[in-house]
Amino acid sequence: MLSVQDLVVTYNRHSDGPVLKNVNFQIASEEKVVIVGPNGSGKSTLLKAILGLAPIESGSVKVFGTDVKEVRGDVRVSTNLAEVYRLAYVKAKDVVKIFAELKGGNPDSAFKMFYDFELGQILNKRIHELSTGQQKMFGNILAVSFSPKLVLLDEPFDNVDEGRRRRFIEVLRQLPAEMVVITHEFNLLQRLSDWGLYFMIEGRLWGKFSASLLDRLYITRGEASGSLAVMETSLGRLSITLDHGDIAVRTATNLNALLEQV
Amino acid sequence: MALITYYTKGILTNRNLWFWGVAFMIFWLVLGAYSFAQGLPRQSNILVPYTASWYGTIALYSLSSLAISIAYSIYYASSSLAYSFRYTKLSPLSYAGTLVGSSSVLGAILSVIMLVSTYGLFSTRFSLRLTPSNPIEAILISALAGIFMMTLAMFLVLIAVNYVGLQNINLVTFVPLILAYGFGFSQLTTPLPPALLYASPYNAIQSLLFQAYSGLAPPAQLDNASSSLLQWQYLFASLIIWIIMLFLIDSYLLRKIRPRQVEEGRQI
Repeated sequence: MLSVQDLVVTYNRHSDGPVLKNVNFQIASEEKVVIVGPNGSGKSTLLKAILGLAPIESGSVKVFGTDVKEVRGDVRVSTNLAEVYRLAYVKAKDVVKIFAELKGGNPDSAFKMFYDFELGQILNKRIHELSTGQQKMFGNILAVSFSPKLVLLDEPFDNVDEGRRRRFIEVLRQLPAEMVVITHEFNLLQRLSDWGLYFMIEGRLWGKFSASLLDRLYITRGEASGSLAVMETSLGRLSITLDHGDIAVRTATNLNALLEQV
Repeated sequence: MALITYYTKGILTNRNLWFWGVAFMIFWLVLGAYSFAQGLPRQSNILVPYTASWYGTIALYSLSSLAISIAYSIYYASSSLAYSFRYTKLSPLSYAGTLVGSSSVLGAILSVIMLVSTYGLFSTRFSLRLTPSNPIEAILISALAGIFMMTLAMFLVLIAVNYVGLQNINLVTFVPLILAYGFGFSQLTTPLPPALLYASPYNAIQSLLFQAYSGLAPPAQLDNASSSLLQWQYLFASLIIWIIMLFLIDSYLLRKIRPRQVEEGRQI
């Protein structure tokens, strides 16, 4: 169970405004959602706030019923963020062993997955020696290892080749865990049609929709009647409508491109 | 157990530690044996305290280099620690305990290298067996000194990470080394008040290592055997009190650790 209520995150109160503005959302047991948004919209910050890595100005984040500020030793939550795996300056295989012990899991299951993804060779390198895509897959595999119950993935497919993307999506679909996947790519959503879908624009979260509706969603300027949601943005009000509207969401490869069209 | 093993392994593969903490220190020992020792009589009652004062001072410098490596390792791990305390079995206390175990092992390793180097260089130079009086005691004191350096490094980095910011992190990580040079060199050549020497953990380490090597009570001024003698019990108590005090503060600061981007520490 993940519950985010009226979440406001500000990195620098003196010079910047809030990065997240009154964000609300809940995830029920074993529910999987994907959050799409343009670069800089606050998606990664949301993930970091859930992980206790971003300064929460107001509002609350509850993970399995406990406020994130009070959470200690809850091994059920995992992520692919590279920065959380920097406990010691050692080879990738040793990082796996360290986190297997800290998560109470078996490193062999993680090692098997590395070999299944034909990534066995990266285990003898240090993290900074890996390519961007390899680093991403390293975080992805650790995130889904050791029986997590809530998986938080930040852009898990960035710089990952198509074959591994397909196989990792299958791993995600079959994992019996709650999941939040953050991405700016729309084309992945076709493969996650049974997942919940949120849009994040300028620090605000809009949804929940169903990813299966993606082909039928449109963005319309202004406040359209019968809209599913009306988003307040610096471009003005934008409505998300079903089956008709100004611009079909499916025509864009990502939300950046879509907003440029708008 | 995995973390303590791999943490120790990670620090031991740090080339900076091997250069500044070992090679550079051996260079100083070479100077102490061959350059600064001109004109010393070949008498063991002169050469033993002379060699022991070099050992105490250089081992102190070497151990303070260890503090820099540990400081950087904590700085790079701030986000990982903030995550791990929430979402793994790692607790602030168990992490601090891991570093205590690791730094004591590292301190002992550095101590053995310095002991062997000092014995080899000075004995060869003076053609006299200048064997350490109590090498086990020297290793145990160095293990404690390693723990002290860790607790000090952690204290300084956590103050920067949690409250001050990382703009001056490079300076902060070098504070243990700067203090070691300041206190260490002072006791070598300057008559300092015994109260200061007892209160300073650096001088406690230096004096205790002197005693372990020479078997003699450490003088307040190491290059002046006629200066007042220090009592090892007070020096030892001082070191232990510093370790306990810093460990408790560190455990508190670790609970409040703020995740930081390492890029914040960039100056250029």
